[in-house]
Amino acid sequence: MEEPTEPPAPAVVPGNGGLMGPATVLERCATGIEGVDNILSGGIPRGNMVLVAGSVGTGKTTLSLEFLVRGAERGERSLFISVTEASDKLMQNLSTFEFFRSDLVLNGSLVFVDLPVVYDRLGLEHEELLPDEIDILIRTIRDLVRSLGAKRLVLDSLTSVGYRIRRDERIRDFMLRLGQALSDEGCTALLVSEVSPTPGRYSLHGVEEAIVDGVILLWNTRRQGDILRVLQVVKMRGTAHSRAQYVMELTPIGILLAPHLKGGRGEGA
Amino acid sequence: MPVDIAERLRALPPGSAVALKLDPREYADHYFAVLNATLRDVGSETEVHTIYMTVTNPAAFVWSLAQALDVPSDRISFVDAISHIMMNYADPLPNATYIDSPRALEEIMLRIEYLIKKFPHPRTIVVVDSVNALAIHNPPELLSEFFHILLNSLKSRQVITLVLETNEEEATPVEQMLNLVVDETIDIARGGR
Ligand SMILES: Nc1ncnc2c1ncn2[C@@H]1O[C@H](COP(=O)(O)OP(=O)(O)OP(=O)(O)O)[C@@H](O)[C@H]1O
Ligand SMILES: [Mg+2]
Repeated sequence: MEEPTEPPAPAVVPGNGGLMGPATVLERCATGIEGVDNILSGGIPRGNMVLVAGSVGTGKTTLSLEFLVRGAERGERSLFISVTEASDKLMQNLSTFEFFRSDLVLNGSLVFVDLPVVYDRLGLEHEELLPDEIDILIRTIRDLVRSLGAKRLVLDSLTSVGYRIRRDERIRDFMLRLGQALSDEGCTALLVSEVSPTPGRYSLHGVEEAIVDGVILLWNTRRQGDILRVLQVVKMRGTAHSRAQYVMELTPIGILLAPHLKGGRGEGA
Repeated sequence: MPVDIAERLRALPPGSAVALKLDPREYADHYFAVLNATLRDVGSETEVHTIYMTVTNPAAFVWSLAQALDVPSDRISFVDAISHIMMNYADPLPNATYIDSPRALEEIMLRIEYLIKKFPHPRTIVVVDSVNALAIHNPPELLSEFFHILLNSLKSRQVITLVLETNEEEATPVEQMLNLVVDETIDIARGGR
């Protein structure tokens, strides 16, 4: 396999973020989705672990996959860990998008791994994962990231892993250690959280959003009978970002965002 | 008849936003002059891609006029936000994308952006037809916000934006706002002067 060609960049570079800019600016992992990078003033701070939360069909998987495709195009090896959908079926769906390039999969810069297969191989067969099994899982993911030199990772979904890690304190521990391992590898991660929209709660256990470095929220809203997809970054450590709502469209060439117009009517218009 | 609209359009630097003012008493003449200048004279130049966003008339109507002017079809795309609500959608054009309603302003922005990215050209011109038609369907605050965001975003992409506007007796709030955002105004009644 080819090594990804990523220029070594300093972890911290002198800031020039204008009057209100921070003294130092963290190195960014540009998502490659123009609208998202604009919201995040350049991208996700490298090594951040970010929750992508939303109810069914809001575009979580598509957003995550474009993040990986754009990374792979830039020479950052990208890893998709699939739990809910088999990855060959996923790639089939993906091929309906022009932005998807199967050559990235063929040349190994975009790697798909099915977690159920991993569970099997590791002999993790208990419905509820025990602490030492959680240990094995974290180490397996870390080793995978390390051996591939992956700079981007998606776990789709954290929720389904969360169903097997039943206790709050264990999911907290799992996430803290996973986050540490990934950030040590300089790997930026999106963890998909499947939640039905209840205000202020973005995950299965309700502790996940406190641990992650960022939360990107997706939901559907109605206007004059049409359903609009909306995206909002509610949290992102290490960068200034817009907290406004954006209308999102999944197009063949990728995700496009436009500001959600308010027309002077303020929130909830 | 105005003669130098096309000349003025050709002279525009990338990223310009221009209001084209039509006189309602000579609307048909002026509308045709604008189509002539934008679609035929400027739009058929090889490097140009025109994105024609229409709320005033269905894209099929504008396209039939354009064909009478021998405009090549491969470098003009339509964003049609009126055919659906006019129940005029039976025979969609291959070079048009249709939006459910002229109230779906974000959708209009997203489709324009999509076409810009999908068909990259050295020179892209976006025609917005028109302020007055959009104002029938949208409250002024919303429309002002829409134009403010759209024109700035197109400017940052080096796209030329032409906004059609029929002069009212008195300037509406949206027109007043537009006057602040556009770089220049071309008055069709004065032959583009
Ligand atoms: N090629 C495509 N072009 C445009 N939209 C598409 C395309 N393929 C799928 N979609 C839309 O994307 C939606 C699903 O998006 P996605 O799978 O990313 O959502 P999700 O949040 O991951 O859903 P789930 O909760 O089921 O996992 C579909 O319901 C469909 O509306
Ligand atoms: Mg999904």
